[in-house]
Amino acid sequence: MELIDKLSILADAAKYDASCASSGAPKRSSRGKAGVGASDGMGICHSFTPDGRCVSLLKVLMTNFCLFDCQYCVNRRSSNIPRARFTPEEIVRLTLSFYRRNTISGLFLSSGIIRSSDYTMEQMIEVARQLREVHEFRGYIHLKAIPEADPKLLEQAGRYADRLSANVELPTLTSLKTLAPEKELGTIHSAMGQIREGIDAANDDARADARHPPRSANPKRQAPRYAPGGQSTQMIVGADATDDRTILQSAQQLYRSFRLKRVYYSAFSPIPERPAGLPQAAPPMLREHRLYQADFLIRTYGFQAEEILGGPGNLALDIDPKLAWALNHREAFPVDLNRAEPGMIGRVPGIGLRSVQRLVELRRHRKIRFQDLVALRCRLETLKPFVITQDYRPADAARDSQRLRETMTAPEPAQLALI
Amino acid sequence: MPGIDMSGINSHAGTAAMVASAVDFDAWRARARELLKAGVHPARVTWRDGSDVCDDLFAESADAPQPVIRNAPAPRIARAHLQTLQRAARYRPQGHELGRWPLLYQTLWRLSRGDETALNAADATGAEVQRRVHAVKREAHHMHAFLRFHNDVETGDESFIAWFEPAHDVLDLGAEHFADRLGNARFRIATPQGGVEWDGERFTYHASCPVEWHARAQAAATADDDRTLWRTYFVSTFNPARLNHKVMTQHMPQRFWRHLSEGDLIPALEAKARHGGQRLAQEASVGERKGKALPPGRLRRDADA
Repeated sequence: MELIDKLSILADAAKYDASCASSGAPKRSSRGKAGVGASDGMGICHSFTPDGRCVSLLKVLMTNFCLFDCQYCVNRRSSNIPRARFTPEEIVRLTLSFYRRNTISGLFLSSGIIRSSDYTMEQMIEVARQLREVHEFRGYIHLKAIPEADPKLLEQAGRYADRLSANVELPTLTSLKTLAPEKELGTIHSAMGQIREGIDAANDDARADARHPPRSANPKRQAPRYAPGGQSTQMIVGADATDDRTILQSAQQLYRSFRLKRVYYSAFSPIPERPAGLPQAAPPMLREHRLYQADFLIRTYGFQAEEILGGPGNLALDIDPKLAWALNHREAFPVDLNRAEPGMIGRVPGIGLRSVQRLVELRRHRKIRFQDLVALRCRLETLKPFVITQDYRPADAARDSQRLRETMTAPEPAQLALI
Repeated sequence: MPGIDMSGINSHAGTAAMVASAVDFDAWRARARELLKAGVHPARVTWRDGSDVCDDLFAESADAPQPVIRNAPAPRIARAHLQTLQRAARYRPQGHELGRWPLLYQTLWRLSRGDETALNAADATGAEVQRRVHAVKREAHHMHAFLRFHNDVETGDESFIAWFEPAHDVLDLGAEHFADRLGNARFRIATPQGGVEWDGERFTYHASCPVEWHARAQAAATADDDRTLWRTYFVSTFNPARLNHKVMTQHMPQRFWRHLSEGDLIPALEAKARHGGQRLAQEASVGERKGKALPPGRLRRDADA
């Protein structure tokens, strides 16, 4: 099979992984050196496909032959799809060629499980090894960790990769049992635990290095790196009946237990050869979007999953989770922007973290007026009932949340058409 | 009040309009320092880009040395603020927008008088400066993302050439970035304005890009053998079930498409997705290939492997 045919099949097979981030890697440069590649912590999206997703890495499977039969997966062994397998050299050639043309910032390599978990992991590590050692590639590498593989291999993978990820895919034991019988949540968690320990240990060594710098400038004498871009995982949304509350709580649990950098949510896309019981509907993209918003509140605004969704069920689709929380907690509002703690200003719907920073900076010099919110381009219609400024108090502070929600989600009034 | 001694200024500051010119940030900075020291209010200065004709008939030239005020301290502003101004100066104003030098001088005037809100986004001037800083940062990022190198046919292997049309003055920011990425490989970047060469060790800048570079960049793009591989990857990695035109164009403005080797695929992929392709995530051409279901196999555990 020609390289181009393999690429066509194995890129198609890899697109179900939502992650394509190239951020968080340490600073590396090839200036004045042999080899190629750099990273500066900032991710770069080199293109966007018409689905609005960023193309940052060459995202391919090493092979889509697979011994597993996970029902939600297009590559499961019972699926009647074209199969292919790259040699490590082919992946290396594609990565370097695309990288030099500036169409990618690195490689995202995943794979179906062939022969044994260890063998599969070894083959993936071989690709990363060739890139790093033979070609002195300093771009980004994201490797999929195969949870069942030998811990020694995970250790090796983390030495070459900027990021490792083991996918949870389904957040509950029952779903995993029915849809992915060969996978075990326990194994996935222990792999994540091992990766976390590796990262923590490398960070400790790096801190020790910073306190007592090694005498030699030779980088080999310095503490070895281990997945410096952290680890991430993915959960599929909408393939089974799991609700958003369960998803968010497992995400929060994963952030806490394994210090994940990111949890990705992937709306289940209909696949060919669909097994019975899986939806054939369009992917629930708005639901996925709301989950990302809620996840962002947990990661950066200091919200708890329980605050965002108190009971079982899904996030509201018509309003964003921050507005939903504010409407449920009217007793905390309106917030006086000239007095409130920055954390509380961040909880006002319609005011983002950057604006919080600017408001706090501004009020050191003078009182905040409503006009400032206009100038900062905050979402005025949303924040109006929730803030107090020097010259403004909400008139609808007493209006009940239900009516407030109705006014906020009401469709734009449209002029009647002439008959 | 930090910065400037007001007492010495008022008596010396005249009221006549002035013309000052600057070709780049450093020239502007030098002129602005003199004007500040002489206490010249922003409203009295007409700034020129250096090349164009005098546009204020009644103005006297400020390019002649200003009367230096005895003992006036040099104006001082924080280094971070200076960097912000330098960033904003890279913005190319459109016809109806305020020129870069008058905006910077207004801001500098206020900063030198201790008015820190002049750079806050909630201030009218500050908002404009921040907007420009943001636009410049975004354009540099666009250059890092959407510039494409191709093997330069005329100079052979390990030498690349690219054509790019930046909306603001970010060529040097891009060049630095690519020198980090490409290591010892040589490259050239051509733009409608300037051009730059990297020989693996140092940069050579051309204020106006050598004419033949444009044609060379085009020839290199056409002759590139790996172009088909990249186009194949782009088609396969797209998920037709998730079509989202708005998000794509927000992140990748259409002005860049015609210089991307995948650019012309986008409308076709969208049309195909709208007409039926949207049912599945799989790319149609992959689905048409012969499939292969695998027999239930046994995963070898470590013991058997």
